[in-house]
Amino acid sequence: MKWQRKDLLGLRDVSEQEIQFILETAKPMKEVLFRSVKKLPTLRGKSVVTLFFENSTRTRTSFEIAGKVLGADTSSVTVAQSSVAKGESLLDTVKTIRAMQPDVVIMRHPSSGAAEYIANILDVSVINAGDGQNEHPTQALLDMFTLKEHMGELAGKKIIIVGDILHSRVARSNAYGLLKLGAEVIFAGPPTLLPLEMKTLGVQVTYDLDSVLPGADAVMPLRLQMERQQKGLLPTLREYNRVYGLNLKRMEQTGKQTLVLHPGPMNRGVEIESDLADSALSVIEEQVTNGVAIRMALIYLFVGGSANDVD
Amino acid sequence: MWIKNVHLVDPAQGISGIRNVLVQDGVIQAISTDLDTGEQLSDEQALDGTGKYLFPGLIDVHTHLREPGLEEKEDIASGSAAAIRGGFTGIMAMPNTQPVIDQRALVEFVKHQGERAGLARVYPIAAVTKGQRGEELTEMVDLRAGGAVALSDDGRPIMNAEVMRLALEYAKLPDLIVITHSEDANLALDGCMHWGETSLALGLKGIPSSAEAVMVARDMLLAAQTGGKLHVAHVSAWESVEIIRQAKRQGIDVTAEVNPHHLIFSDEDVTLNSTALKVNPPLRSQEDCEALLQGALDGTIDFLATDHAPHTWEEKAQPMPEAPFGILGLETALPAVWQYLVQPGRLSVEKMVEMWSALPARRFHLPGGSLKVGEAADMVLFDPLAKERVSRDNLASKASNTPFLDQELRGLPVMTWVAGGLKQKDRRIL
Ligand SMILES: [Zn+2]
Repeated sequence: MKWQRKDLLGLRDVSEQEIQFILETAKPMKEVLFRSVKKLPTLRGKSVVTLFFENSTRTRTSFEIAGKVLGADTSSVTVAQSSVAKGESLLDTVKTIRAMQPDVVIMRHPSSGAAEYIANILDVSVINAGDGQNEHPTQALLDMFTLKEHMGELAGKKIIIVGDILHSRVARSNAYGLLKLGAEVIFAGPPTLLPLEMKTLGVQVTYDLDSVLPGADAVMPLRLQMERQQKGLLPTLREYNRVYGLNLKRMEQTGKQTLVLHPGPMNRGVEIESDLADSALSVIEEQVTNGVAIRMALIYLFVGGSANDVD
Repeated sequence: MWIKNVHLVDPAQGISGIRNVLVQDGVIQAISTDLDTGEQLSDEQALDGTGKYLFPGLIDVHTHLREPGLEEKEDIASGSAAAIRGGFTGIMAMPNTQPVIDQRALVEFVKHQGERAGLARVYPIAAVTKGQRGEELTEMVDLRAGGAVALSDDGRPIMNAEVMRLALEYAKLPDLIVITHSEDANLALDGCMHWGETSLALGLKGIPSSAEAVMVARDMLLAAQTGGKLHVAHVSAWESVEIIRQAKRQGIDVTAEVNPHHLIFSDEDVTLNSTALKVNPPLRSQEDCEALLQGALDGTIDFLATDHAPHTWEEKAQPMPEAPFGILGLETALPAVWQYLVQPGRLSVEKMVEMWSALPARRFHLPGGSLKVGEAADMVLFDPLAKERVSRDNLASKASNTPFLDQELRGLPVMTWVAGGLKQKDRRIL
């Protein structure tokens, strides 16, 4: 297939075929990462700009490495959160970026819809690196890539996402993506963080994590933001850990070798315990490597063209 | 001047039919069914109303004119020009300006600015509490003496129930109605659209219907307890309609309004970046739209009102969570209600006119609302076939934050008179 999309804003309106195409394109990209010389001339002279309105060294670095391995010039613009409300408007920031003639713009922003907002202004491609509670498509793609490496096709696989679903762009993007690949997706979490209406996305929702663990092929605990407890959505982190915290013992209920993923960074002892995070079930470090491969694939597709000339 | 052969809709007189209307010295002189009466006059003195409607000038109980202090969005002159273009001859101006209209001098300023503009009649609403802080009551007696026609902290809910109780009690002294913006600030926290399937799918923070309904219920109980007069602004949720219906059955002195956008749009129309549809209270579900219309038809909801809320283009050109709440209303509300509700037969023209003129005039003791002989000739000639594309260039308002921008509306006021003076003709302010 030919890549024709201008932007990647989310997985809500991306087809299964497109998702599979991105995942296929990421395979040779991953091989490059294991070479001794990790540098391709492919995108020499191309400009990749990362525009981050929220601190996320991990995601930004992942995109920057991806761009650099492909030979592109990467620049990063970090805008302090406080200036979102007071200083320059997003419109003016984006116009400034546009004037710098980038080939692709990668943005993280605390407002849902911000990526679509700038994509409507820019003629060049926009990759959403997370917008508010809406979507985080590259995270979901790297999760799917990791799952597929271990279990092949995802059709019929049972995948549980646990925790603060309400505020999670990772959960939304994964639901949209995994469902398109035919997986069975279950959201599990406390009532204050998991509105039952979310089942209209096509997922199963439950408050009772233990009841759905049997037979699970993969479990993904989400990072629990400490402010949720401070804002009264949870009584204590201790109780959250008791009911939803994942550890080796709890994972025995699945009755199989269940993969454990985490979008990072982890709160050890809250949503996941070290015995599990560092166990053979954990693919958390692989996710980080695959994240670079997925982001290479996307930058390549948006800036470079067809997938055939990668070698 | 005779307006001949026009379809007069005047619910206060029980009239809906072809009439000739004689206006002289700014006052309605005669209404006749005898189509010959007008024949004696020369054409210069007669206006042919064939195929058009004549309504009493509409009265809008809920507008934000932004002056003083927020003139980059709107001012009293531009807001009253927008009113005239929209068929409104009287508008009530909310006090959430900078400074807040919480003293007599400020009430008089708003009134004078309205008179200076010389277009629609501008009626100031004063704040319930000083600075709209929800803490101390304003000098309600003095505010009334200065010309305030009602009291409201609109835009800011009065979260302290005891303050609301005291307001309803004390407002009995100047005999003013308290207009409530019923919203629980904690339940609504940070939301930017209706809480429901759409908000959850889009990852936009939701404002649940309960944020409105719990406060409507609270305010009904306080109105019952105090015997104060209450008006509920911008009802949006079916639960609120139900609570108000019950309250009216119990004889509580309450009225309520609905904004056209809550009848016409639902949360399903909201997308990630549709800031023109970002409004508080938010556009709710289809069922809510249906319940609001039922409420209007059975009299639970008394008035149509625009909640005209201008914002600058720059403010609205932001991602949804950051853009301010508010939809422009004055210039599009009547054609929109006509096109979306009256034409499809969901609301009669008589009911529409009653909800937008006779009933608000009666409730707030304002002039107009009917074209009885002897009344001031505040009136609108409405052409159901006139068409106009809504654009930044033709809006009289300073702002353009309307979901109808660049769309064609059909059914427009083509002439507007205040006290017999022609203020708008063929969509142009005179
Ligand atoms: Zn309000």
